Amino acid sequence: MAIMNKNYLFGSTSGWKRLAPVMLLVPGVFLYIMIALGPSLATTVYSFTDASGLRGAPVNWIGLDNYDEFLFQGAVSRDNIDATLRTLRFSVLVTFIQFTLGLILALLLNQKLRGRTFFRTLFFIPVILGVVIQGLMWKLFLQPRGGPMATIFEWFGLQSEFLGGLPGPAFNWVIVVQIWANVGVTMVIFLAGMQTINTDLYEAARIDGAGGWELFRSITWPQLTPAINTNFLLNIVGSLQAWQLFLVLLGYKPGTQVLGYLVFAEGFGQGDSPSFRQGFAAAASIVLFLLVLVIGFVANKYVSWREERYMG
Amino acid sequence: MTQATRMSEGINPEAPRALAEPTSVTVRSRQLKALSYLVLSIFSIFYIWPLYMLVNTSLKSFTDYLRDPAGVATDPSFANFTEAWELANFPQYMTNSAIYTASATIIFVLTSLFVAFPIARGYFRGSGAILTMYVVALFLPPALIPQFQLILNLGLYNTRPGFILLFLINPIGMIILVNYIKSIPKELDESAAVDGASYITFVTKIIFPLIRPAVATVTVLHAIGIWNELILPTIYLTNEDYFPITRGLIVFEGVYGSNWPGIAAAVLMLMLPILILFMFLQRYIIGGLTAGAVKG
Repeated sequence: MAIMNKNYLFGSTSGWKRLAPVMLLVPGVFLYIMIALGPSLATTVYSFTDASGLRGAPVNWIGLDNYDEFLFQGAVSRDNIDATLRTLRFSVLVTFIQFTLGLILALLLNQKLRGRTFFRTLFFIPVILGVVIQGLMWKLFLQPRGGPMATIFEWFGLQSEFLGGLPGPAFNWVIVVQIWANVGVTMVIFLAGMQTINTDLYEAARIDGAGGWELFRSITWPQLTPAINTNFLLNIVGSLQAWQLFLVLLGYKPGTQVLGYLVFAEGFGQGDSPSFRQGFAAAASIVLFLLVLVIGFVANKYVSWREERYMG
Repeated sequence: MTQATRMSEGINPEAPRALAEPTSVTVRSRQLKALSYLVLSIFSIFYIWPLYMLVNTSLKSFTDYLRDPAGVATDPSFANFTEAWELANFPQYMTNSAIYTASATIIFVLTSLFVAFPIARGYFRGSGAILTMYVVALFLPPALIPQFQLILNLGLYNTRPGFILLFLINPIGMIILVNYIKSIPKELDESAAVDGASYITFVTKIIFPLIRPAVATVTVLHAIGIWNELILPTIYLTNEDYFPITRGLIVFEGVYGSNWPGIAAAVLMLMLPILILFMFLQRYIIGGLTAGAVKG
């Protein structure tokens, strides 16, 4: 049969019959194409239509209208453009802070310290708890009246409504929770990277009289290149697409929406209007996708350039 | 300080200078350690305190909470747990979550095994293309909208099977399986085929036990993902009887708004199964998340 490689076991006289492997392969691949690959590709098509969420409702081709509405309709497009810019701001801040904190935690916990397993586990736990628990935990922690964070604020004579207050501070608190929840992944990837560094390198450098900072600069940082690159890319792409904590912590609060949330709100009637504007939501998700693609591409170029420089 | 060192410092004038170098290093490293602990402790506050707050609040009565939200529970009781359990329809939600997580994970792992094995081996022409198909998924637009249209038009909107269907795929899981199977020697296949072992027997009885670490990783990551999922149940399920625990909890929060003792108790009940799983399978979870991340 055409789909078989000649030299492999199937269909040869002593090997397995070819029917079973094919039959067993099909369900997995079929499911994958039906649920993931097909819909993923179809998003582009839907973005040119006025599809709604009603079963059997007609779907009309409307060309670039959705994109036009998203970008070029003055006041109407304002919210969309604001959401796009906010997404970028969120991503830059989360990437930078999470990367730095993750690196610091990993450096600290890569030493021989009593209780380091405890600390590692502690910082990693939020990762597996999911957005509902992460979000509700912080909603409780950030209760404006008598909550722990409000108490800390009081010590410094400050006051805040936290999540319920102005969009600006509320948005920043989501950044805090986002980093709090995910820095554990960044940390374990850095730690895994540090474990691959040959300790002889440090010994040799120490004999040459290198101090802590020099050791970091001349050994840890270059040797950590694969982990640095992974974390950098994961953080950028992850933070551009992150929005679920906004849902749990703030709801669709004006002045805080990011693109991912906008797609969900427009597509499933969770925003200002209860209608399902799925064509428009598809267009918005293509905009987000292109953003991720372009930024991811540039970041990837930068990362390969670094890799060449440091690893040869 | 021991007698010997005190003596050496006092009597021998050469000793302090000889000791100076190593001593300053140990002092420095001790200071460094103290600084490390300081930074780690400050960090830990923001991980322990929210957790403590959750437990503490869950043990308080509503009036106690209103009087002093952050204070220690003076008269701890488990009333909130039983109340949340009964009021919030929790047994139903938990059962739903368990059904979705277990069935989707089992189907996913079984179907993936029979995809991953032959393509890892290159037993089909186009194996590489199939693998590529899974890799590109990570770089394609989100499938959210067309997926909804598909489920809607199949008549599976707001049904349990339709909801489970959404969780039967996981490209990253597939890639982890394929990579792991590649490390299993191919000679095994040949001898099994010559011995006349059937294909299904071979994959399930011989390959499966050999790739158990990878299967464990994929299973745990996939299951936790389903258990924690909030968006898909929000989109696809409107019937409360079908709600998983995450969605149920958000509804509960909406209804009981400021009753934080109740919400805290509910959150802890949702958390417990994941934490238990984590304690036992930490190795596989962290292994899965760092898989391939540091190889360069």
